[in-house]
Amino acid sequence: MEQIKNDIVEYLKANSFMDNNSSLNDNDSLTQNGIIDSIGLLELMDYICEKYSIEIPEDMLTPENFDSLQGITNMITTLAK
Amino acid sequence: MRIDAYITEYARKTPQNTALEEGKNSISYSCLDNDINAIASSLMDFNRCRFVILAESGIQYIKVLMAVYRSANIAIPLPIEFPKFSLEKILDAAHINNIITTDKQYSRFGEDFFERFGTVIVISSDNPKKILRKSIETEVNNSELRLVLYTSGTTGTPKGVMLNDKNLVTNAESIIKVLRITSRDSGALVISPHHAFGNSIINSHLVAGGSVKIGNMNFIDPTFNLVGSGVSIFYGVPSTYRILLRYPDRFKRAFANVRTAASAGGGMDRAIVEEITGLAPDVEILPMYGQTEATARLAYLPAEDVDEFVDTIGKAIPGVILDVVDSEYRPVKPNITGELVAKGDNIMLGYLDDELATEKRIVNGWLHTGDLAQKLPNGYIRLLGRKDDLIKIGDHRVNPREIERSIEENNEVSKVFVVPVHHELMGTAISLMVIPAEGTKIEKLFAFCRKSLPGYLCPREILFIDHLPLSENGKISNRSIIEEYQHVKASM
Repeated sequence: MEQIKNDIVEYLKANSFMDNNSSLNDNDSLTQNGIIDSIGLLELMDYICEKYSIEIPEDMLTPENFDSLQGITNMITTLAK
Repeated sequence: MRIDAYITEYARKTPQNTALEEGKNSISYSCLDNDINAIASSLMDFNRCRFVILAESGIQYIKVLMAVYRSANIAIPLPIEFPKFSLEKILDAAHINNIITTDKQYSRFGEDFFERFGTVIVISSDNPKKILRKSIETEVNNSELRLVLYTSGTTGTPKGVMLNDKNLVTNAESIIKVLRITSRDSGALVISPHHAFGNSIINSHLVAGGSVKIGNMNFIDPTFNLVGSGVSIFYGVPSTYRILLRYPDRFKRAFANVRTAASAGGGMDRAIVEEITGLAPDVEILPMYGQTEATARLAYLPAEDVDEFVDTIGKAIPGVILDVVDSEYRPVKPNITGELVAKGDNIMLGYLDDELATEKRIVNGWLHTGDLAQKLPNGYIRLLGRKDDLIKIGDHRVNPREIERSIEENNEVSKVFVVPVHHELMGTAISLMVIPAEGTKIEKLFAFCRKSLPGYLCPREILFIDHLPLSENGKISNRSIIEEYQHVKASM
């Protein structure tokens, strides 16, 4: 779980508006804090699918699953089982 | 008539009709009118003053916008997707004393950001308005000015386009005619309302007495649910359609009952049109063309001509005259390239606090669009790129020379060249070719771009080169840069 979370944080630091030294809480909204936009989200999704060899069903593309570190981590954990 | 006066009129005629919907919330014309009054009441003692609106898309944003209109002040919505420093640049240039924001944006930008303002009003859903402080200053403004919209895109100071009531109402009425919008129509607003296109969706549906369903493009599932919930007219820039078309099954289901798929903010290509038609054969596709400088819309391609003329912008909307002129401003014959010019009641008053730039764009009452164009024998108009080397990135108009300058000034590099490259979703993105200096680090350049440029300008790749990308006659242009890029890629 922690490993997944760290991977996503590293990805966001490298590919989004997130600052290297800014801290992101597990439940902070990625879109409302301006960390990522709609195109950025799709790229993040492609990254996740490839890295964890999972497919994300379309009805899971919701804010609950995608708008926070915790949501993304939970989703990956569920799908990777 | 002011745009907000239409809401009052429908609040009287059809008070129970839905005006706006957002997620599970919806608001009728009569409630909307009351809420606008409640906000406007605290703005009435300002006299034609500039009000920045810093708010995310939603019902709140529209209430605030209409309240500024109603109190006869001047609305300046900020594009919240811009990085903070771009917003600060806009604010520094525009001398604005008053701001209305949402509690969300207040906590996101932080107290310090708001120190520059004499008046700060915070709106939230549970507490309609909180006046943090209020100071009324006398301002000198164009007597017709109602709304300032910022053009999207470049790294330089964005230009504020000044619009009056007539601009807004005329353009809304033209759009209503072209799209045949009625009070029974429901339009989808999933793009930013702070720019011309989104703003025109709000205006045209409210002037027609219809409704607007507000969402966004962040999460696909809610977006498709919104489309399928009774939207009759969907609006998107080409990349909006590219994103949605990645999910053909959902697209097919969601668009089954949509009447019209309208587009603007960039040319629709044949592939998008064919994919939409394949999945939703009953949907009428209606590509439109416009500029912020023309309030929003200038031309449209009638649905029946989309198959044959998708590479054109079609013809002028009602109330607008379009022509193609040479460098002496004389109209040219069909199939001859010139600059597209436009006339009509939707043409802007000018750029905010920038008479020089205004004089360049509006000459003898004609708006010079900066777009190169040709008239076809049937009167339709085909665009052939920008006169001033601007490029379209993810549907934003961008000046590559400004991006290059900004990167050069803030990094250890010798020269930077912006290359437009293909991007699956945005249509075009940028790559950089860099002539390195001592100490040039690729990671540092990437980091700078991520922090300092809007997301769509973040380079896909950075390549080092060792000489200038000159053309045969020794000039640097988009074309010579692209040719050099292709050369570099081929030898990699």
